[in-house]
Amino acid sequence: MPLDTASYSLALLRLDGRRWNELRRLTAQISTQAAADGSSYLEMGNTKVICTVSGPTEPKGTGGSRSGGDNAEVRVEISIAGFSGVDRKKRSRNDKRVSEMAMTIANTFTNTLFINLYPHSTITLSLHVLSQDGSLLAALLNASTLALVDAGIPMRDYICSCTAGSTSSYSSNDEAADPLLDLNSTEEQELPFLTVATLGATDDVSALVMETRVQIGRLEGMLAVGVDGCKQVREILDGVVRARGKKILKDSGS
Amino acid sequence: MTSLKRSLGPDPYASNVSSKVYVRSTRSGKVQKIVRELYLRQDIPCSSQLCRSCLATAPRDASGILVPFVLSAQPAGTKTYPQGHYIVPDTNALLNALDAFEQTSAFYDVIILQTVLEELRNRSLPLYNRLVGLTKSEEKRFYVFFNDFRLETYVVRENGESINDRNDRAVRKAVEWYARHLTQAVKAAGGKVKKVPAVVMISDDKENLIKAKKDGIDACSLQEYVNGLENADQLLDMVSAAKEWRETQHAKVAENLYQEYFSVSKMMTGVKNGTLHQGIFNVSPYNYLEGSIHVPAFDKSLLILGRESINRAVQGDVVVVEVLPKDQWKEPSTKIIEEETMNKDENADAEEGEAVITEKERRALQEEVKKVHSKSTEGRPQPTARVVGVVKRNWRQYVGHIDESSVSQTAKQSRKQQTVFLIPMDKRIPKIRVRTRQAGEIMGKRVLVTIDSWDRDSRYPAGHFVRSLGEMETKGAETEALLLEYDVQYRPFPKAVLDCLPKEGHEWIVPPSMDDPGWRGRRDLRGLQICSIDPVGCQDIDDALHARPLPNGNYEVGVHIADVSHFVKPNNAMDTEASIRGTTVYLVDKRIDMLPMLLGTDLCSLKPYVERYAFSALWEITPNADIVKSEFTKSVIKSREAFSYEQAQIRVDDPSQKDELTNAMRTLMMLSKKFKQKRMDAGALSLSSPEVRVEMESETSDPIDVKTKKHLDTMSLVEEFMLLANTSVAAKIYEAFPQTAMLRRHGAPPKTNFEELANQLKVKRGIDLRVSSSKELADSLDRCIDPKEPFFNTLVRIMATRCMMSAEYFCSGTQAYPEFRHYGLASEIYTHFTSPIRRYADLVAHRQLAAAIDYEPLDASVRSKGKLEAVCKNINVRHRNAQQAGRASIEYYVGQALKGRVVEEEGYAMKVFSNGFVVFVPRFGIESLIRLRDLAEPEPESAFDAENYILTTSGSRDVKVELFDKVVVRISDVKEESTGKRKVKFELVKVVGSK
Repeated sequence: MPLDTASYSLALLRLDGRRWNELRRLTAQISTQAAADGSSYLEMGNTKVICTVSGPTEPKGTGGSRSGGDNAEVRVEISIAGFSGVDRKKRSRNDKRVSEMAMTIANTFTNTLFINLYPHSTITLSLHVLSQDGSLLAALLNASTLALVDAGIPMRDYICSCTAGSTSSYSSNDEAADPLLDLNSTEEQELPFLTVATLGATDDVSALVMETRVQIGRLEGMLAVGVDGCKQVREILDGVVRARGKKILKDSGS
Repeated sequence: MTSLKRSLGPDPYASNVSSKVYVRSTRSGKVQKIVRELYLRQDIPCSSQLCRSCLATAPRDASGILVPFVLSAQPAGTKTYPQGHYIVPDTNALLNALDAFEQTSAFYDVIILQTVLEELRNRSLPLYNRLVGLTKSEEKRFYVFFNDFRLETYVVRENGESINDRNDRAVRKAVEWYARHLTQAVKAAGGKVKKVPAVVMISDDKENLIKAKKDGIDACSLQEYVNGLENADQLLDMVSAAKEWRETQHAKVAENLYQEYFSVSKMMTGVKNGTLHQGIFNVSPYNYLEGSIHVPAFDKSLLILGRESINRAVQGDVVVVEVLPKDQWKEPSTKIIEEETMNKDENADAEEGEAVITEKERRALQEEVKKVHSKSTEGRPQPTARVVGVVKRNWRQYVGHIDESSVSQTAKQSRKQQTVFLIPMDKRIPKIRVRTRQAGEIMGKRVLVTIDSWDRDSRYPAGHFVRSLGEMETKGAETEALLLEYDVQYRPFPKAVLDCLPKEGHEWIVPPSMDDPGWRGRRDLRGLQICSIDPVGCQDIDDALHARPLPNGNYEVGVHIADVSHFVKPNNAMDTEASIRGTTVYLVDKRIDMLPMLLGTDLCSLKPYVERYAFSALWEITPNADIVKSEFTKSVIKSREAFSYEQAQIRVDDPSQKDELTNAMRTLMMLSKKFKQKRMDAGALSLSSPEVRVEMESETSDPIDVKTKKHLDTMSLVEEFMLLANTSVAAKIYEAFPQTAMLRRHGAPPKTNFEELANQLKVKRGIDLRVSSSKELADSLDRCIDPKEPFFNTLVRIMATRCMMSAEYFCSGTQAYPEFRHYGLASEIYTHFTSPIRRYADLVAHRQLAAAIDYEPLDASVRSKGKLEAVCKNINVRHRNAQQAGRASIEYYVGQALKGRVVEEEGYAMKVFSNGFVVFVPRFGIESLIRLRDLAEPEPESAFDAENYILTTSGSRDVKVELFDKVVVRISDVKEESTGKRKVKFELVKVVGSK
């Protein structure tokens, strides 16, 4: 039994040796699958996800009532590998938690992509979770952004996301609790946290999900730290995209 | 084709990310492999005030506040390290001697490594918690250094290296780093290298020490280190004997006296598939070789007989037992077996030639077994089991005294270390073997010890000395012993708590202006004729009452309770302290308050003639005692008078008193009698427990006499209305917070509890005790009358009370509604509301009620079920301990009051064993054992008829004692050898008999 989150106050260090305002190692690559219209691979610590984009395409099937609109429809499919967590677990197809995440991602991108450019069509995001260690929704959002960039679908700005929490649990009611950035799974299990996504480096919040209870007084601090984290995430994502761009230019120039 | 390859090159983290992989097994027995990231960093400060470079990079929390550096710039020196030193203990050093680390005389500037902290947490959670407490105390200067997160001190486990070796290596590496780092820091500051404090590793692991010496690290064993300190002797005793013990014993061929415990997984699977059972081990108060354990699978408790079967379990441990085959089942003993009489002259130092069971014990047990066999078909043997493993030890610190006979005469003066026996005050705890150098000094004193270990090859557990409380039989030492034994928090309130008190102190008054925020939502009830009725000399007045006729012929009745929740806000230091204390503890000469005096006896106390904040429950009640309506409100009241029960009774009985207050009390009296009748009709029990009061000389507070408490009508007056208030409040808060209301329940006792009593009554008196409901029980208790013996009924009630379950606090979400019932009061729902000054549960109920009437929002801490459950668990324990401590205190003072006197009193035989019987003397509310050998010298022959509860002796004295017999005993006081308590001693004068 290693130490638990209560040991934070001893030296202001988290369970994995980070400070309160530090992200985990975030690395990403884009165009990982040549066959897809757009693809990405992203790691936030030990959370590892793959995203592929197909589309915009004509809607599958005939005469779907929903796909007939003036805007493109964003569809999100998430599959979580059985081996991704600590325990091997088979999730059913319509797991409520997973569908809710898919819904959040779809809504977020529906509002960010210029879907009005692609009437009567569908953009499908397929997300695969290879390994889970907290901040799953945030990782999925970030990976989707990269894959959509790779697919060349116009959007207002990057969607950058991360989680923010608080160092002590709801019931301990500790007023001196510090906000935390980018929680891993152990922290998520013990502490209150939220997932926030912003539009690029602005303070515009485009998605905010919180399922745990927390004192209202702590929320502001958590949100501020989360938004700040999103800006750091944007720098990293932007770096990945630019590196890719340079490579393409170099390859095409030669 | 693009291939997915992680490019390590440009990754800025690459060098400092590592991962930690470990395997753990879950409670259900599943094995999980956990992978965790590890971010290594260089900004973890050394926290020495000598170091500047760390200060620059030291971490700040979210509000930008820097954690101050802990370790002193000029740490204390010792003979070996005159330049000063920092201590780095390793895990076994802490495990063996945390008590020593807690001393104020030594062990300052200690660096606790993360590796050590984690290891300690795995080994012992209580020790871990104590250590974390130490690191938070400012004066001790303990610093936790997260060595596994610092790049320079991080250590990777090598192939084939055991985890312990890896941890030891991590400790050595951290020590090495510290030494180097400090030298650099001092140099950078321009100091002399000679002045650099040494960093000393303390370990009890020989191999580790050798390796440390090889690496050139300052290291020594705990013993060596303590030897170099000034008060070495005292500290050395605290250094657990555990290690040395093992060494000396390995020299001899250790003989295992006890069976080995099962492995954890074997126990777990056994418990899961029902072949083994888990429960809490309890020792019989009359026979130290007999234990019992209640497990869900059996109605009746399982019996555990004999030292071998008990297999090193100690009172209160959570153990796993195996049920023995049926032919080995035994009957609970009818014999009193006390440890001190059995094994009087053992030598604590002697190791060889001791068997688990001494010859005498064997004989005592053998007789038991014979009896079971002779009874053959009748067959009352109980399922019997043996302990196969301990899940959780319940070892705490024990108070006791040194067995003088175990101290060798020559050693009394010398400083030679020797082993002595400590006899705990609690008879259910075995003797503890303690190694000490101060045997001579601590003889005849109350001492505190802890148990360290109990190895298979040792007959008794091994422990070490913590501190001495003072001479035995001095008031201070005995009171402290009592408080420690019942785990009562008696230290003065810390400053943080006192800071939460109102600044005005005793000058505080109810704000005169009604616009003051204090008045918000409060009703002005200052005009009512309110009075309080309490025991004589009561200072913490929780409750006051009023009654007045209404125009429609009904009455308005109000119960006003001190508004403690106004002064004690949730989650501040005072609230936390109160929730830990749980209750005020009343001893004969002392009161250990739950809340600081200022609140308890002044600001909250509903004293007469002054205005006070209150929480009022108001009812409209018809003359037939039916409630028309009830309401609750915060209020301001002014009590007109504080009566004692006696004064109130006199006033009510005096027809010449015609004033409003007296009339109100008469109304209340009339209503209370009707309420009581209703309760009785519903099946409320009127139980009895012996209650006596010790009278003290006012100046010296020496006890002079013992009186039984008189019961007055005014007592039941107050009681009835408190019950009414409690029940109404319970219903209200349950309605508002169905999941989290703080309630109190009293479970119906299982029928088996009454089996013995019912049988006794049937055999001896031909009375049928029916126990199927509280109503039936109440009725049949009423029928337990012996026309010639008026006390018989009370005696039965006292015995019935002991068969009951104890009432407990609980959080409403944890039980189904039918389980809420209060059996004794025959009430569907009940809580405690009326004594917030002295009970924490009441304070919680106050907060919940305030929220239920929308007075203030409910604080998060009383809204979370988990948190409330923890609170309930604690206050249940505290409540029980407080009661026991109170009783023990009375017992002590009764002994003191009888000191040097000899009186003859009537008593009753309450329990009959084959070699003695228990007599209860109502005059003093005491019970004591009379053993056969107390009857005459030499011990008379005896015959015991277990079926009819008759003990007949012959030979040196002819006596026939039956259960419930009236006897006359001579009471004198004697110092009990085994527990060192002064106790009353009974001698049988004659048996009066009952028929």
